[in-house]
Amino acid sequence: MSRNRTRLGIAGATALGLVAALLTGCGSDGDAGGGVTKLTFAASTFGDPGRGPKLTAWLDEFNKSQDKVQVSAAAVPYPTFGQTVLTQMGSGQGPDLVRFDMPEFEAAADAGLIAPLDKLVDVSKYDLIKQPDQFMVHDGVRHGIIFEASNYAMFYNADLIPTPPTTYDQFFSTAKSLTKGDVYGLAFRQTEAEEAGVWQDIFNYVYGFGGAWSDGKNLTINSPENLKGLQAYKDLYDANVIPRGADAATFRRMFAEGKVGMELNNGGYVTATRGQNPNLKFSVAPIPFPVRKQGAILAPIVINEASEAKEEAATFIRWALEPQNQIKLQEILGASSVATTTQRSAEALEETPFLTVFDELTESSLPQIVLGFEAKTPDIRKVVVQNVIAALQGKVDLKSALDRAQQQATELVS
Amino acid sequence: MTVLERTRAPKTTRRSGTRRGPSPLGSKWTPYLFLAPAALFILVFQAVPLAQEVYLSFTRTTLLNPTRSQWVGLDNYDRIFGDPDFRHTLLITFVYVIACVVGAVGSGLVVALLLNKGFRGRGVARALVTVPWAAPGIAVALIATWMLNAQYGIVNRFLDAVGLGVPGGAILDSPRYALPAVLATTIWQLFPFTSVVLLSALQAVPQDLNEAATVDGAGRWATFRAVTWQVIKPTVGLLAVLMTIWSLRRFELIWLMTKGGPVGATETLVIDLYSQAFDSKELGSAAAIGMVGVVISLIVITGSRLVARAVEKEDVR
Repeated sequence: MSRNRTRLGIAGATALGLVAALLTGCGSDGDAGGGVTKLTFAASTFGDPGRGPKLTAWLDEFNKSQDKVQVSAAAVPYPTFGQTVLTQMGSGQGPDLVRFDMPEFEAAADAGLIAPLDKLVDVSKYDLIKQPDQFMVHDGVRHGIIFEASNYAMFYNADLIPTPPTTYDQFFSTAKSLTKGDVYGLAFRQTEAEEAGVWQDIFNYVYGFGGAWSDGKNLTINSPENLKGLQAYKDLYDANVIPRGADAATFRRMFAEGKVGMELNNGGYVTATRGQNPNLKFSVAPIPFPVRKQGAILAPIVINEASEAKEEAATFIRWALEPQNQIKLQEILGASSVATTTQRSAEALEETPFLTVFDELTESSLPQIVLGFEAKTPDIRKVVVQNVIAALQGKVDLKSALDRAQQQATELVS
Repeated sequence: MTVLERTRAPKTTRRSGTRRGPSPLGSKWTPYLFLAPAALFILVFQAVPLAQEVYLSFTRTTLLNPTRSQWVGLDNYDRIFGDPDFRHTLLITFVYVIACVVGAVGSGLVVALLLNKGFRGRGVARALVTVPWAAPGIAVALIATWMLNAQYGIVNRFLDAVGLGVPGGAILDSPRYALPAVLATTIWQLFPFTSVVLLSALQAVPQDLNEAATVDGAGRWATFRAVTWQVIKPTVGLLAVLMTIWSLRRFELIWLMTKGGPVGATETLVIDLYSQAFDSKELGSAAAIGMVGVVISLIVITGSRLVARAVEKEDVR
């Protein structure tokens, strides 16, 4: 009997051991052999049809220049980028280097998920552009370096619109007159599925009509100026001059195919638009709203606090900041700016004369965050977008929607 | 233990046979050893996460710092039940589940009755019916979204052509039409399963009983009610429970089609849970919503068992 028990005990222990091994056998791969540290750099732009392959080639240049550090690209789609990467970072995992958008950057910095850069990168060596760079520092601690700064402007089909509108009324009437059959005068994001994109779009209407999400201390979501700006957005929606229900990927393709006359977009999409249709004749002008203020996509590159190779990750950032690499990055990103001041080449200006339009907007461009409540921006964004869409759908009038958003967001931040 | 006794070889045989060492299969621990892997699996992958979720629901925990949680007692439950949006979510969940059960079982029954009749090409029809069930949920959601697309969708074009077009064209962005569109897609995917299961149940209906009912002068409806329904009733009950549980848990189809929008029109419990956990990054509230889902599922299962027992007793009488 005791022999029997021993056999059973051995069999049981073996079974348990196998199960335990299966459960715990997913250890980390760690650094590669041969003394080479392998890093991952996550950015949604790696998946862009126009810029992605060029950015990957730019990374390859870094890899060729190094014998101890190698960086590989991780393309995470834009709509789920923040959620995916923040979830990984929250659990102490994730890529070593991340290109964030501002709302997620602020949330991650506030939660201590981003490594401070002050001791890793000596920024005094570089000629950083001050306006966007000021948002990289919190309470005297630097959390990021601008990877891309992209101002919003009005893209228009030059075949359909020989002279771009310069006032909101002209903008409205141009959109209306162009809308016929399967051609739409304008396109913007208006579905809850694209919450982050809707926020980027309505930002231009709010700030372009003199509004703001906050005064730095208190939220001002339901201010009269915001109401005016968002009413302009809703009027365009109600006028049926946009392809309703179309997501950004769809209406941007429509723009490239000449089916959409205008859209407010950032400089990053110049390359992508050309990539979709090299023959499209399009140009860019400042957004024709009463106040010259518009959003800017500020995309910092940061080092994950959980990374075991921070110094190696900083090696990449230092390499990226070198003047010749900044120029190459600038050329890849097209109408966007990079961290440092770079001179646009004569060829680039000849090929894309409206690059200067984007550059001139830098001083009046703002990151799409709620000033004073930076880390809470994703939560405030959700509340605002849900209520604005409720107004678009006619569930409630716009003023009540903004009052409700103000109340809900105030509860969130208090 | 009864099983163990039954599987043992008769003692007389053992005595008369060649002398061997005691078989490990004969030990009283054998059943436990066989059960251990399954029990361990359930413990590790079901019980531990469930216990963790119960604990989480009493804490304020954010996704960005999940290891730093603060005990808040019933605050999360207080908050979600005090939120009119959550009550709306419960209502949408209720409507979605009921419509799915009625729609999937009802349409499955109609199709099963049709497929149970003899006609040319029945074999092909039976095979074709299973296609939606075989299609991956993600593919179904993407195809449906494309078909309902405001600009290029075939459904929209058809509705416009017959004068029933939705104003603006965006069915999935309309709070009025989004839920019916999601429901239609869900039922389209579910009905093959219910029809195939019900078809097999229908084939177990004794033909002589049907014939006897017809000879007695019963009409089609009376025959169905008195004979067919009595045979397939337990299967319908089982399908209703399965459809309820599956509909309560369904995520990918709704998420891919509408993400719970517009304005919460298709936001069911699981969508709300996901939004709380990954959009709002509030793991505590998400866990509390999850617990509400668990309780609802338990009520459904217990309720169905009680109903089934009552029906059995009724039948015995």
